[in-house]
Amino acid sequence: MLQKLKIRGAKMNLQVELLEQDSIQYFKVIGEIDAFTAPILRERLATVEGTPNLQAELDLSDVDYMDSTGLGVFVGFYKAVKANGGHVKITGLNRRLSRLFEITGLSEIIDIEKKESEDHDATI
Amino acid sequence: MSYRSSVDIYTEWDIVAARQMGRNEAKKTGFGTVDQARITTAISELARNIYLYAGKGKIEIERISENGFFGIKIIASDEGPGISDLRKVMEDGYSTSGGLGAGMPGVKRLMDDFKVVSEPGVGTTITAKKWLH
Amino acid sequence: MPREVGRQYKEILKKYIDSQSEEDLYVGQQFSRRFIEKQIAPEDVISIHKTALLELLPDLQEEVWDSMDFLIEMMIHYGLTLREHQSLIRKQEVMQMEMNVATQVQGTLLKTSTPNVKGLDVGWVSQPAHQMNGDYVYFLNENQHVASVAVADVMGKGIPAALCMSMIKFGMDGLEQGDTDPRAVLDVINRIVEKSVDNSMFISMFYGKYDGCSSTFSYSSAGHEPALYYHAASGTFMELDAKGLLLGIKTDVVYEEHTVEMQEGDFIAMMTDGVTETRTEEGFIEIGEIQQLLKDVRDQSAQKMAEHLYNELAGLQEYRLGDDFTIVIFKKDPEEV
Repeated sequence: MLQKLKIRGAKMNLQVELLEQDSIQYFKVIGEIDAFTAPILRERLATVEGTPNLQAELDLSDVDYMDSTGLGVFVGFYKAVKANGGHVKITGLNRRLSRLFEITGLSEIIDIEKKESEDHDATI
Repeated sequence: MSYRSSVDIYTEWDIVAARQMGRNEAKKTGFGTVDQARITTAISELARNIYLYAGKGKIEIERISENGFFGIKIIASDEGPGISDLRKVMEDGYSTSGGLGAGMPGVKRLMDDFKVVSEPGVGTTITAKKWLH
Repeated sequence: MPREVGRQYKEILKKYIDSQSEEDLYVGQQFSRRFIEKQIAPEDVISIHKTALLELLPDLQEEVWDSMDFLIEMMIHYGLTLREHQSLIRKQEVMQMEMNVATQVQGTLLKTSTPNVKGLDVGWVSQPAHQMNGDYVYFLNENQHVASVAVADVMGKGIPAALCMSMIKFGMDGLEQGDTDPRAVLDVINRIVEKSVDNSMFISMFYGKYDGCSSTFSYSSAGHEPALYYHAASGTFMELDAKGLLLGIKTDVVYEEHTVEMQEGDFIAMMTDGVTETRTEEGFIEIGEIQQLLKDVRDQSAQKMAEHLYNELAGLQEYRLGDDFTIVIFKKDPEEV
């Protein structure tokens, strides 16, 4: 059973939990991704991106806000993983984030899954 | 010609021995309390760097005179990994931000004259002097 | 050690020990500025204190003097930290000067002139959040009937973004002779950027071309915010979106190109996310609010409209921009009679 660890950080904080399930590297990201917190995420993802045939899943259901710096981290990660024959899946995007992936055309090249309950916006 | 005293640095206790030696020599040279404290702190930092990064090395202290001026010379030497980027370790904020104490710029400030010779894989020798004003 | 300072310190200290008055403490506080001015280190201050005390009250217990020596030892690192801090401040001043020069260079390098096409009113505002701008506006005025604009947003802000931008500028400069249709332009720029940037770096760009002969506006987008098209006859807005991936991610991207025909009073607003993602304490601004702000001033010149939007949105953020802010407006003038 996959356990989702949720630790709420203060504002301007970002938490990245890595949970391994079978062969999938499952990352749970919690917080806001901006110029200040993006390096935390980049560093965390860099530890696995070189793994051959990596199957990575990034759960962003607890990410309310992300700016272009955050997008840059995912693009870099996607490119590195793809170069090593792996696959990246991003899940749990709220309406705002999912629009960001659509506008930028990234939803066409990265495997994206929207939040299940998309009728009400998750941003609180 | 001049007498050189020396302490090998293997353990943290040896740092204390090096300090003691430095203080005695500084006192004999005629330095006041504040300068004694500065010289000792410099020795402390240099010895600590040896202990933390090279594992072992030695601190030598020498009383010196030149053109009628008297002073003290510290030589810290080790055969550790060496410093690959000297410019970086001499930068303010580089070592202190990592919590490594006063770092090289600090030692340089505490003394009047400071010289580093380092070769990666071979070792590092730091020579620092302070003159009696 | 300046002996004079020591002597004065002793006098002030003596007065205080005798009176213990607030007045003497105030004198002491004023005097401490002199220590700082003369760059006397904390350990020296204690030494001065010890010397003064030795002369004033020589009969104190031996332990007091020993504890002073201990305190001197304690202060050495404070002294070092203080001097390091002062040196870092000087370093920062140097960097600030370099930044000022860099900003000027950027300004000169990226200068672009507003196109002049009959029947088209162009206005624009581009303001950086920090000193250097990561948004970029480039105009191409091919002939008296055709005006094009590229609105780009380089990921991130500040210096890295600014460096990246000069690359786009030179790519665009090379276009003048070639095919200037939006999709072709994006294709060329994408190839340049893809070859030259780091993995996690990218640029979004909206490219629009207005042809005065047919009153048409054609556009393509490389992962950029959709532009807003105001249709005067119906009083409504429409989003101008075209599929296309961000620049610099992969080669062989197919950029869609669409065309709209502009009527009198119609305008098109091209923006970066610094406009659409305006964030206030209450949350993000809605696109409807931006539309309303533009609609309110639709009868003014394109430049006035752009400035109005900037002033309103900057005001909402109390003039502390969260991101670089850029808007370009193309507005079709009523025909002159």
